[in-house]
Amino acid sequence: MTANSPSAAAHASAHKLFSLGRAAAIAGNTLRDLVRQKVFYFMLVFALVLIGMSLVLAALSFQGQLQMVMNMSLGAMSVFTMLLAVLASAMMLPKDIEDRTLYTILAKPVSRFEYLLGKLAGVALMLLIATLLMTVFFCIVLWFWQGREIASIRGSVQSELVDAEVAKVMAGTFTPTLFGGIGVIFLRAVVCSALTLMVSSFATSWLFTVIISLMLILIGHIVPIARSAWMDPIQAGVDVPWYLSLFLRLITVFAPDMQLFNIVDDIAVGTHVASGIFGQVTALGCGYITIYVLVAYLFFAWREL
Amino acid sequence: MSTPAISIQNLTKEFIPPSVMRRGAITAVRDLSLKVEAGHVYGLLGPNGSGKSTTMKVVLGLVTPTSGKTFIFGKNSRDVESREAVGFLPENPYFYKFLTGEETVHFYGKLCGIRGKMLRDRTRELLALVGLEDAANRRVGGYSKGMLQRIGLAQALVQDPRLLVLDEPTAGVDPAGSREICDLILQFKARGLTVLLCSHLLSQVQEICDRIGIMHRGGLVREGPLDHLITIENQTEMVLENASPELLAELRAKIAAGGARLAGEGKPQQNLERYFLDVTSEAKKSDQ
Amino acid sequence: MAGALKGRVIGVAVLLVWGILKLPIETELTAQLQHERLGKYKITASLRQQAGQAGFIAVLGGLRAPVADLLFIRAHIAWQQHVEYGRMKLYFDICTALQPRREMFWDMAAWHMAYNGAAYIEQTEKDKYIRDRQMKEYYKVGEDYLLRAVENCPDSWSLYDRLGSLYREKFHDPCKAAAAFARAAERPNRLDYTRRLAAIYLADCPGHEKEAYDKLLALYKESEKEWVPSLLEKIQILERKLGIPKEERVYIPEKHRLLPD
Ligand SMILES: Nc1ncnc2c1ncn2[C@@H]1O[C@H](COP(=O)(O)OP(=O)(O)OP(=O)(O)O)[C@@H](O)[C@H]1O
Ligand SMILES: [Mg+2]
Repeated sequence: MTANSPSAAAHASAHKLFSLGRAAAIAGNTLRDLVRQKVFYFMLVFALVLIGMSLVLAALSFQGQLQMVMNMSLGAMSVFTMLLAVLASAMMLPKDIEDRTLYTILAKPVSRFEYLLGKLAGVALMLLIATLLMTVFFCIVLWFWQGREIASIRGSVQSELVDAEVAKVMAGTFTPTLFGGIGVIFLRAVVCSALTLMVSSFATSWLFTVIISLMLILIGHIVPIARSAWMDPIQAGVDVPWYLSLFLRLITVFAPDMQLFNIVDDIAVGTHVASGIFGQVTALGCGYITIYVLVAYLFFAWREL
Repeated sequence: MSTPAISIQNLTKEFIPPSVMRRGAITAVRDLSLKVEAGHVYGLLGPNGSGKSTTMKVVLGLVTPTSGKTFIFGKNSRDVESREAVGFLPENPYFYKFLTGEETVHFYGKLCGIRGKMLRDRTRELLALVGLEDAANRRVGGYSKGMLQRIGLAQALVQDPRLLVLDEPTAGVDPAGSREICDLILQFKARGLTVLLCSHLLSQVQEICDRIGIMHRGGLVREGPLDHLITIENQTEMVLENASPELLAELRAKIAAGGARLAGEGKPQQNLERYFLDVTSEAKKSDQ
Repeated sequence: MAGALKGRVIGVAVLLVWGILKLPIETELTAQLQHERLGKYKITASLRQQAGQAGFIAVLGGLRAPVADLLFIRAHIAWQQHVEYGRMKLYFDICTALQPRREMFWDMAAWHMAYNGAAYIEQTEKDKYIRDRQMKEYYKVGEDYLLRAVENCPDSWSLYDRLGSLYREKFHDPCKAAAAFARAAERPNRLDYTRRLAAIYLADCPGHEKEAYDKLLALYKESEKEWVPSLLEKIQILERKLGIPKEERVYIPEKHRLLPD
């Protein structure tokens, strides 16, 4: 062991309040950590679910299979990405605190904001890769079923209708709305991840974080109902006592409206969704992510480690 | 006089348990003031739970003080900027277990803004320095305690800091490794680095520190240059070489005639360990 | 500690402000999505009620569509394995409530009830009185599904087409059948035969002969593609019924001419 005079003198330059480089380093490290924890084996389960479902549907042959494969795949994708987002994000902070890795990271010139942002970006990157992988599986399975559907139309439908039906299937499968919807699934996963990060920024345990986050996300799905019970109680046809109405208001204000990110339910029935709506949903999602990161920072900035 | 590497002013830190009653608050550090001059090796000593680690964490901005302020090279610990030139080795360090040793050092280097070839060279150099070349490509999850301590030292050094804060750097390291770490610290000192360390291995502290502070129950009970503290003021040590028994007898007679008392013969071996124990037991008595 | 408290207070305040700001945005977006779903048709009260009743559904989140599909498959299995129409109806009720925009669910539900269910009764029930009454009930269930279907999928022509066929074949009601086909003919992407059937069935609806004749004539004049035997036959019948003078009657190709009266 000899101490050669080290040449690196990085601290000579002035300190930047926010450095993308540092956040990127944390993001990259988070992604690598997640990959090595074999999260992508989850994808294997997804592929198996799709294949198994296809086999079951093939055994029960009757109409509407293409739609069903689409629905189930999108449903599986929704659940997988949300679970992946919550579980991966809930682990990060408590684990770093418990293992005291956070001490060494924050003892470097890294601000807590950069740390949080890096963590979120790392999970988002992982979710992006997961979504892309699932989309590839999904497209292959869907393409196969589209072929089967067309074959069965040619075999069964009266000739007057064949071309119209085939055209309908061709035009109704790989639509921009479908891919937009998958994009929204990814966006929702990142929102869930930011929400979980926010919860974990004040929570003291991993389990607490998971439970609270999942509950918030579930409650988020009834926000439209809570909101309409608040906004126009007559239309909703319910007469609510004050404490319930207070509760509904709290839900409406503090929980995210997760149904807005449920565009895939519409895709399942072939609704065309305008790109303007995708734009607005994306903007709303980005708003949520920004706010959650900001609040996470406010909760975390003064926290004792 | 140049700005001190570390300046702690009237630091108090209470840990309030997260209960509504706010009962059982623990004062980990009580009105502590301390300066560590640039270029010194400062040893913080004290029994378990006396607040050494807490003090270090406050200095590094990991824990917010209840009152008082701390500065690193004149920059408030509150500001991230103050950590530009600091390397920290926490007690029982742990790292991402799925990363290899090399990737770990790499990661911390990136956090300090080092990139590319410079970072690669620096990583290799540091791994060699702490004696982990052979384990560089193994995952940290499989490292032994001493290896973790070494990789922790490597990451602390990655940006060539001007100040090193080491919380029990030799804990869990084998005797030879612990010797090497001591030598390293002495080399850093020769290069002008400032080091704040705490350790329970007093012989090592005695060897490498310029100055020590002894903490007890969150307060600083003694502080000063090491040789100063452990020198016995009213005694004089003479080390004679080749003194004949006649000369010694003559000296003894002279001493008795001059009104002095010969306290002992041989080498007066006041050691740090004894001193440390005295100071802490004295403080304990005054508490009761 | 003071800092931590301040952080928490500001954090909650930020959440509150955002919650209030996002409210109109979310309301507006929900309305827009609703519009996208139902097109230019207005939401009816009953639809609204249905949404309220199925409030728990919302909790299923992204799983709504696949759960509906699974129930649909269950219904199909119940039919294939041990003809249980009561249980099938239950499954169909839930899956149409979960996914009211899915045409196939309504279509299949109505078909199973009005056609298969009624046929099953016809084969198994010996008492004529009970048989007739029960078959009528099954037709009614089928009609009910289709009526709710067209309400939920207002731009579907094929559901009106199914409804028309049901009125024609099971209720033997040409007036309602004609009305249903007329609605089908107004929907986007409909096939041409719906217009024809609307006019042809109207011909059998007492009191609407003149109206039917005008419609048939319009189709006749539009293109020779419309000159199918049933249309030509109805025109001739109506001409006679309405007492249209011979010289005003349209040209009918030889092989489609009815015997002179
Ligand atoms: N996060 C915390 N929450 C509550 N109490 C704490 C926390 N950290 C430290 N303490 C308390 O503060 C006191 C000082 O702890 P500290 O870790 O600074 O001691 P130390 O001098 O480093 O001891 P050791 O020699 O064992 O490392 C202890 O009583 C400890 O229980
Ligand atoms: Mg300690």
